[in-house]
Amino acid sequence: MGFIGDTYTLFLREMLIFKKNIRVNLPRSLIFPLIFIVLLGSFGNTPKNVPVAVVNYDNGQAALNFINLMQGSSAVKVVSQTTQQGAMALLSRGTVAGVLVIPSGFSGGQEGNVYLYLDNSQPQSAEVVGATVDATAAKVGAGTVADNVNGGGRGLVSVISSYVFGAKSNYLSFVVGGLIIMVASFGAIFSAGFTLLSDRELGNLKAFLITPINKFSILLSKIAYGTFQSLLSAYIGLVIGLLYGATIGAGILGLLELIWIVFLVGLGFSALAIALAARVKQIQTYALVGQTVAMPLAFLGGAFVPVNLLPNFLLPVVAVNPLTYAVNAVRDIMIKGVLPINTLVSTSAILAVFTGVMMVLAYLLFRNTGEHL
Amino acid sequence: MSMALNAIQIQGLVKRFGDFTAVDGIDLDIKEGEIFGLLGPNGAGKSTTVNMILGLISPTSGRVLVNGIDMSKNPQKARNEIGIVTQETVVEAELTAEQNLRIFGRLYHIPPEELERDIDFALELSDLTGFRHAYAGTFSGGMKRRLEVSKSLMHAPKILLLDEPTTGLDVQNRTQIWNLLREINRTQNITIVMTTQYLEEADQLCNRIGIVDHGKLIALGTPSELRQRIGMSNVIEISADREALPKLAAICRKIGLEPKLLSNKVVAPGGARATENIEKVIKAISESKIKIQNISMHEPTIDDVFIKLTGSEARDTTGSFKSGRVGMMRGR
Repeated sequence: MGFIGDTYTLFLREMLIFKKNIRVNLPRSLIFPLIFIVLLGSFGNTPKNVPVAVVNYDNGQAALNFINLMQGSSAVKVVSQTTQQGAMALLSRGTVAGVLVIPSGFSGGQEGNVYLYLDNSQPQSAEVVGATVDATAAKVGAGTVADNVNGGGRGLVSVISSYVFGAKSNYLSFVVGGLIIMVASFGAIFSAGFTLLSDRELGNLKAFLITPINKFSILLSKIAYGTFQSLLSAYIGLVIGLLYGATIGAGILGLLELIWIVFLVGLGFSALAIALAARVKQIQTYALVGQTVAMPLAFLGGAFVPVNLLPNFLLPVVAVNPLTYAVNAVRDIMIKGVLPINTLVSTSAILAVFTGVMMVLAYLLFRNTGEHL
Repeated sequence: MSMALNAIQIQGLVKRFGDFTAVDGIDLDIKEGEIFGLLGPNGAGKSTTVNMILGLISPTSGRVLVNGIDMSKNPQKARNEIGIVTQETVVEAELTAEQNLRIFGRLYHIPPEELERDIDFALELSDLTGFRHAYAGTFSGGMKRRLEVSKSLMHAPKILLLDEPTTGLDVQNRTQIWNLLREINRTQNITIVMTTQYLEEADQLCNRIGIVDHGKLIALGTPSELRQRIGMSNVIEISADREALPKLAAICRKIGLEPKLLSNKVVAPGGARATENIEKVIKAISESKIKIQNISMHEPTIDDVFIKLTGSEARDTTGSFKSGRVGMMRGR
């Protein structure tokens, strides 16, 4: 018993209250993902200057024409690569959204193929690249007389597209992946923080502090409750997403990995919530503080839009934001269909470090909580 | 020659918040088995003292011993000796009566085999057996308070500390709480320490009263001892509009009385010749043409003791604190 037992008792209490209020709690967890998926899942925005790696094995005039035409549109930005391997490496790192390979002999014949590889974990960008290459192929295929005179023209061009990550390009899976992490972090920040605040306001916190328990079991029970709420919110978000048409590329194993990532996010963000709420006295103030932290972190973690569309000055924030890694991992699981073990380990490590730091912070701020009632 | 043990010993207790000294060296022994009332105006240091007895905040210097156990050094053990009813009624609205008791019983580490029996007993004590599975949010103020009192007794503490246990309750519920407290004090020999702003409550219920002001214990004794301190003279009380009060006080002073200004009245001990003095006051008021609502004379109550000692009313009525202080300063 002792510390763990007390934490369990306090967690039990949170769950009894949760059960009592289930008619309010469940719809609250439901409404947000529903609105989010229905609204955001239905339309995407069109990115500009999407980076595309181009590997030109031909170097003939027709190939150069093709590249110039492509570059002429502001939709894509051509990044020249000498080898296909190099280009594919950029693609798998997410530096470019597509790889266009122009095989040697392209300029010679009357008909030819170009090969396009698209990163479907960035569905909006992939779509733009695909459309631009298709349009360019159509223009080149209808080659003008002048082109032919110069020896640069050529006949029909077929674009052979393939997606690098097995699963179909699915904007909805992209949205749902971000949504899951967002609702998980929101669930933690708001449930763990609000229960501490309402306990303080109603005098329950004082009542717990004067019992002979270790006060950190109070802190831990709140973190456990926040994590529970994270998992619940993420679960509801996922179910709605799947019903709406999203898919989990990585299957059952992927689902387990996803739950693990959500669990870590819940833990870390519940600890963050306690740290934020430890010295706040009014629920209204905490609502403001929570929003101010939760929304930007979700946004800068790429939950709404791909982080490569964000301006450069925000990139350092993106890099230190634990949600960035969680969102990427979940999208890998859902869209790429595989989460490499080292990515799983590194993501877990990042989230664990974040959780550790937040727990220490929560501990320090909560330590003298008797003086801040 | 009684060798009564001390339930709570407060020794040289000081608490400073920055430059502000909230508690300024309190020494106080509360005896085992007594009902002790701690009184004081708002901001007097009463709550800070209570919070130090509970171990919620640590003293700047001095110490609190609960049944001989130092609260700062061994808070978890000391807390087992004491049951607490806080100012806010903290029964949980979203839990049933039984769940409320169970959660707290577990936090006080009552063994599971005893817990069921203790829950039954607590429900019986608070007269809530029929409401076992009802949510506490549906209870009346009195029911909540009774549940809380019995909840705080579940771990069989030797001392029960109540911070304003009847604030906000109607007369009937208040009487029920008094009876409950008397019963547990008598039948279980539990020492009861309470703060209150209802002085008649302290008068009726408490064996001894301590009055705290400006962080110091300024009076200590039985209610009748304290009443004697004001000299047993009858008290003259004049109610009037607030603007008229300073003029009325001036009239009293001219006659040789020592008036105190409160929110809506002037109060002055009548002295040895109280009847003569009130006649003089009435005459002076009618000459001055100041409109008053009422003038009366009564035997001194604990309220009067409190007013004489602290210069203010115990009850928290808007503005009374300020005018009370002003009155006190003039009185000095």
